[in-house]
Amino acid sequence: MWPGTWRKLLAALNPVSGAALRAVKWLHCPAGKRDTIFALSSGHGKCGVAVVRTSGPASGAALRSLTGQQELPRPRAVALRRIHDPSSAETLDRGLVIWFPGPHSFTGEDCSELHVHGGPAVVGGVLQALGRLPGLRPADPGEFTKRAFQNGKLGLTEVEGLGDLIHAETEAQRRQALRQMEGELGQLYQRWSEELTKALAHVEAFIDFSEDDNLEEGVLAQVDAAVRTLEEEVSGHLQDGRRGERLRGGVHVVIAGPTNAGKSSLLNLLCQRPAAIVSPIAGTTRDVVESALNIGGYPVVLSDTAGLRETQDVVEREGVSRARERLQRADVVLAVLAAVDVDPEPRRFADALRAVLPPGPPAQRAPCILVLNKADLLEEGRGGGPAGSLWGGGTAPHLPALLQDRRGRGQPPEPAGDTAGADVRRPSGRLPEPHAGTASPPPHQLPWLAGPVPRLQVPGSGAGSRGAAAGPQAPGEDHGPSQRRGDPGYRLQGLLCWEV
Amino acid sequence: MFLLRRRALPPAPLPWRRRARSDGTAPRWDVVVIGGGHAGTEAAAAAARSGVRTLLVTHKVDTIGQMSCNPSFGGIGKGHLMREVDALDGLCARICDQSGVHYKVLNRCKGPAVWGLRAQIDRKLYKENMQKEILNTPLLTVHEASVEDLLLMEPEPDRPGKCQVSGVILGDGSRVHAGSVILTTGTFLRGVVFIGLKTHPAGRLGDQPSIGLAQTLEKLGFAVGRLKTGTPPRLAKDSIDFSVLERHMADNPPMPFSFLSEAVWIKPEDQLSCYRTLTNAKVEQIIHDSLHLNNHVRETTRGPRYCPSLESKVLRFPNRIHQLWLEPEGLDSNVIYPQGMSMTLPPELQEQVIACIHGLEKAKMVQPGQINGTTGYEEAAAQGVIAGINAGLRVGGKPPFIISRTEGYIGVLIDDLTTLGTNEPYRMFTSRVEFRMSLRPDNADSRLTLRGFEEAGCVSQQRYAQASQMKAAIEEAIAVLKSLQFTATKWSRLVPEAPISTNRSSLASALDILQYPEVTMELLARAIPEPLRKFAECRELAERLKIEAVYEWHVASQQQEIEEVRRDEALQLPEDLDYFAIDASLSQEVREKLDSNRPQTIGAVSRIPGITPAAIVNLLRFVKTNRQRTEHIEHSRTGRPLPEGNMLGKSKFQNSSLSCAS
Repeated sequence: MWPGTWRKLLAALNPVSGAALRAVKWLHCPAGKRDTIFALSSGHGKCGVAVVRTSGPASGAALRSLTGQQELPRPRAVALRRIHDPSSAETLDRGLVIWFPGPHSFTGEDCSELHVHGGPAVVGGVLQALGRLPGLRPADPGEFTKRAFQNGKLGLTEVEGLGDLIHAETEAQRRQALRQMEGELGQLYQRWSEELTKALAHVEAFIDFSEDDNLEEGVLAQVDAAVRTLEEEVSGHLQDGRRGERLRGGVHVVIAGPTNAGKSSLLNLLCQRPAAIVSPIAGTTRDVVESALNIGGYPVVLSDTAGLRETQDVVEREGVSRARERLQRADVVLAVLAAVDVDPEPRRFADALRAVLPPGPPAQRAPCILVLNKADLLEEGRGGGPAGSLWGGGTAPHLPALLQDRRGRGQPPEPAGDTAGADVRRPSGRLPEPHAGTASPPPHQLPWLAGPVPRLQVPGSGAGSRGAAAGPQAPGEDHGPSQRRGDPGYRLQGLLCWEV
Repeated sequence: MFLLRRRALPPAPLPWRRRARSDGTAPRWDVVVIGGGHAGTEAAAAAARSGVRTLLVTHKVDTIGQMSCNPSFGGIGKGHLMREVDALDGLCARICDQSGVHYKVLNRCKGPAVWGLRAQIDRKLYKENMQKEILNTPLLTVHEASVEDLLLMEPEPDRPGKCQVSGVILGDGSRVHAGSVILTTGTFLRGVVFIGLKTHPAGRLGDQPSIGLAQTLEKLGFAVGRLKTGTPPRLAKDSIDFSVLERHMADNPPMPFSFLSEAVWIKPEDQLSCYRTLTNAKVEQIIHDSLHLNNHVRETTRGPRYCPSLESKVLRFPNRIHQLWLEPEGLDSNVIYPQGMSMTLPPELQEQVIACIHGLEKAKMVQPGQINGTTGYEEAAAQGVIAGINAGLRVGGKPPFIISRTEGYIGVLIDDLTTLGTNEPYRMFTSRVEFRMSLRPDNADSRLTLRGFEEAGCVSQQRYAQASQMKAAIEEAIAVLKSLQFTATKWSRLVPEAPISTNRSSLASALDILQYPEVTMELLARAIPEPLRKFAECRELAERLKIEAVYEWHVASQQQEIEEVRRDEALQLPEDLDYFAIDASLSQEVREKLDSNRPQTIGAVSRIPGITPAAIVNLLRFVKTNRQRTEHIEHSRTGRPLPEGNMLGKSKFQNSSLSCAS
């Protein structure tokens, strides 16, 4: 019923909740124990080192979860630790941690400090990881000082100096809040906030003015309807692919595929630098290799992962499990397959591709781009061979055309164009033009292949203007769901790729 | 209404005098209360209850207990205040239980936390009963006189401009010395009555205002303002055609206001009814046509938001129908009070408006509506009881009795008025109260009675015993209810009336089951006679357990927030802090706000609009020094986890509360 709705809504709107909403916020507080608070205690913005501080009874538990170690560091001694996001086991950073058990701490409570690299992604990751832990919440302005004061930890001179410091801090927070509140999203949240406040006001009026003051009939029903509408809007917004989060943290693109398919080469190609080691040995990449890119103005975090295969190697097995975790949380998956290794029989091809994709039905899956590599190794003229049937039995790969035809609209994708940079080990420059209208398997055989064809664009390849990034559209082709959500289109020169 | 107190108290015992004398040596009292209205009576009675010799000075003994505005007490929020006044052994709730003619709990269809106990009161009976109570209170003397001025002592050298009040000067020039003086002058402090374009100085219609006192207060630097309230014209009962109107019956059985009353005085079936009628387009037309004749609307400043006149309702919400309630003024009274019809039009036009309302076509106006200004009876009583208690405590050299926002509606009322001030009559609302789920009318006694007895000595032994017993019984019963744990399947067999989902796998306690709207203690006791029967036998206990069960979860989740507020409220600010002189980085704007609001705690500072976190931190250092200065007093206080008490003898009533009362 509507009290539940109410609470959900408020939970969703917590960042914009004003004083009027405070009353309902209490519903979320666990009884008894005091909250543990956390905040970025150093300045905002990019800097060398950022200090994130926690204070409260859950500080020790938080430190344990973030460092992934049962042992807390020695009190008041600096320790170098890998800092993970406990929900994903993803490494956020390596940094210095300090454990201050109460009462010998700044606030008198259990405190911890995490000294991490000052980039917004790292700091944001650490703060988000802390926020997901039970009993932790972001500190209000000046709250650390207030707690220190309440616990008798601050001397007079110290407090005096802190006033200015906190003033600066709140000023920075104000500016940050302003930045966040500007623009379309800010207006949307503002409107929600106002509607919620209005709904609350109506409920309060309903409670405080009863029979003797004539309120309009059905005020509760109106509020109920308004809150329901809001709930739909909010949950719709939340399901809208965490767009805001992506804008802050970057679109998470994960390169996945079997070993030796050329994933690291693709990463290097896209970064235009040898970010990952490439070798002919299967299983070269063990850990996740990340690289931040700016593609058409969108921040993209590209992750190269270990090749997916069953293995006895302990280290590689961990690499494979990390790769799978990354896949789960990817915003876009680049599924890299070696054309020479895949069986063109549709069912088997589907199995090979599915093995690379995150599990789940296509509708709930992150968008995937299929990248076929090593097509240049396909033996020409091997018409009867397995690869040959996929590529149309001759020199031309039919798959692109086939996919396009399956959707029953428009043209096959444009040819990939020229060979890309020289540091690609096996550029697929020999991929011939796809043939339109050649024989294609019946549509039902590849039911999971759908969506518009994105075009990857190699940064720095000369065509990197914003307009080009969106890619030309084939005539008659409408925007697929992913494009409607605002995902950029890409163009990759030299490789063929399809969104699946 | 506010409290003026002297800073230091002479240790010598005060001479005991039951009568104020005008000859020779000036008489001395522990506490003198000026004004015999709803605040004054509660203040005087509370001071006397806490064991100090108290003098109540009023213009006319005969007007003690007069209900000069509406003939009703209580309502949503206001009923809560009455319960809390009663929990401190105050008077109004008990007197109402002896004088009501129509008891009705408002908001019955909503949760018990927002039930509004309300009653139509027989004006004559209330006055009689209140006078009987006041004139028979031990240690309380009533003196009929006007108060001309305050007796002030020379300011101490280190506190220039801060005078101590040492007594009052009466109308005949005689002096009365007192340890504490409480002003509850209400509208009488230079009051003005507006009827149409005519204005004349008056306390109440027909009573003289106090002008000299207002001047003295201004001289002392208090801001004296004037607020407006409105009253409707009164109608002759026998001239109204009730047969065409919607009748509203009283509750049967009526719910008493006081924790001490088992039942109200009147037989349920003897209660009078109220009637409802509505405004119409003709009313609107008359008001529009006569705006030029209306002083109240012409000024349009500081209209009483919470008892708006018919004129302002019509102007603010045009083309709407407004409800008017016809309320009886007493069992044998021929006067009807049309609630919702406050007017300041010239009397002839008021009559015209009345004549075009359904059922009132032939109604005769007994007295025209008017405007003056005060707060409601209940708000007055609440402030009065606290002022009286604290005046008594101060005389005894004890720490003050402060109810925090986390403990009662009274705490919210006083904190709002002293921290934020007001420029219109303050009306209590449940929405002003952060911890509405915990601060309910049903549990006012367990919140306040025990404290009142232990800390303030203002509660009788009998009431204390009753409240302690009830509290212990509730605690025992809740423990038993929590201990009775069965599976959902078993519960649905035991209590088939409740739609218990048998899907849940965990055990449910009897307290969980009691939360279902369909379940009562009686039902539970029938299902599990042992050990529940004894808790269901007492009706009041059974009802209170039901309410406790409903709110148990909410109260538990509010607890943390309550603790947070208490911590802030434990950080006291010195009363005489000179915000303009302190060496801290505070902006001029913040200094001005702090100076005019004079917050008492860091908690209060944080509620002042526009105060920055940095300012709060800067102020903390004064709390710190302050704490060190007063540590020994803190140590002497026991029994409470957080020191609520103000160690500095800071007056709870500051400039701002005066402006609300005058």
